Amino acid sequence: MDSKDLGFLSLLLVIVLLTIPLMFNYLLKLNIGKKIIISVSRMCVQLFLVGIFLKYIFEFNSLWLNLAWLMFMIVISTISVINTSRLKKKIFFVPILLSVAIPVLTILFYFNKFVVRLDNIFEAKYLIAIGGMLLGNLLNGNIIGANNFINNIRKAERKYFADLMLGATKFEALLPNIRESVLASINPTLASIATVGLVSLPGMMTGQILGGASPDAAVKYQLAIMIAIFVTRILSIYFVLIMIIKIGFDDFDILKKECFLEK
Amino acid sequence: MIEFSNITLGFGNKIIFDDFNYSIESGKKILLNSPSGTGKSTLFGLMLGFLKPEKGQVIVDNLVLNAGTIKEIRNKYGYLSQDIEFGEGKVLYIIREIFNYAQNRGVQLNLNLLNNLMDYFEIESSLLENSARSLSGGEKQRLMIIILLLLNKDIYLLDEPTSALDESLKSKVKEYFLGMQKTVFVISHDKLWEKDKRVTILNWQGKVGNIYGQ
Repeated sequence: MDSKDLGFLSLLLVIVLLTIPLMFNYLLKLNIGKKIIISVSRMCVQLFLVGIFLKYIFEFNSLWLNLAWLMFMIVISTISVINTSRLKKKIFFVPILLSVAIPVLTILFYFNKFVVRLDNIFEAKYLIAIGGMLLGNLLNGNIIGANNFINNIRKAERKYFADLMLGATKFEALLPNIRESVLASINPTLASIATVGLVSLPGMMTGQILGGASPDAAVKYQLAIMIAIFVTRILSIYFVLIMIIKIGFDDFDILKKECFLEK
Repeated sequence: MIEFSNITLGFGNKIIFDDFNYSIESGKKILLNSPSGTGKSTLFGLMLGFLKPEKGQVIVDNLVLNAGTIKEIRNKYGYLSQDIEFGEGKVLYIIREIFNYAQNRGVQLNLNLLNNLMDYFEIESSLLENSARSLSGGEKQRLMIIILLLLNKDIYLLDEPTSALDESLKSKVKEYFLGMQKTVFVISHDKLWEKDKRVTILNWQGKVGNIYGQ
């Protein structure tokens, strides 16, 4: 571990760079000045708190504390997916929680056990770092996919009815929409898999190299984590869509408007 | 036989059906041509199970429309919606996809009949190889009618089936459906339907539930 720590002055100097987006905000009247300040402040507070918290978590490295922190991350991801997709929280919290938790936990434990070959698969460093990467990515994918799906249902309601009347089952009638939403969700990951190394050095690799790992090891980790992310992402969006389809339609196969928030 | 029994349904303050009772024998040809906003599409919605009445029942061939019978009842209908959308791909591919739907597995796509119907409705057979995107409104309307006929349904619900067609095609569509043994419901403001003696005009006034049969 020989990367240089950043001092107070360093952070101040990076924050100074924010004057550039703020200048564009003024120049183009983007109307996001307040948003920039709030977002950056939130990030500062959250990251510093997490920094303190993680320090203790890594120090204690207790099974239950690690799992609790992972659960906390899963719950936050779930709420974020529900809110941005305008689903009703009361109805969808548990189903979406399962759609997030099952893929993440399965792939994470598989990864720790068989890929990294840890003796203790609950080891804080791996559980939380890898879990966090999977969750962050799946969150993105679920938001894109679920939003796409729900918007399409509303836009194409007549086509959906017409297909039902032509003899399609609910699933058959929704299949074009399911396809499109799954693709919308996983395409960004697929694109970044195809360009990684050429265009971008992903955060994990950068972090490991800065942390002193050999590029060789960093590359192997990166390869492994990208596949894990891809798999988690497609599993999770599929589960999310199935939950929406199972819960969001009544026994006449009609969309239950009461399950969704108005725009 | 289709029966509407004590149907009550409204939206907000507007009552569309108030204790509406009516029954239609098999093979009848029913025309709905009241002004817009009077509930013609609502009646279709009730029959198709897209809308649920506040009170009352829809009964189709002695089956009360409910969660248990909805699939069987929907399978009896050939429904032509007002704005027809085909998906992506070649027309013939889309037709084949429709015949692959779970409910239609028992129905073979009869290519002979398809050709005959395309002839009758004046659609060139080369159109089957075209992309569905290139179809005009009138072509979509006629193609969907052909698909519904190929599926050989018991009851046809046609929402403005002739709106995008010229006079001679309008009359061909009318003749085809009125000449059938099947039960046919038509929503249309085209005069040629109401002029035909074979149709029964169904009208209702929400508040009192009056029925005028002609």
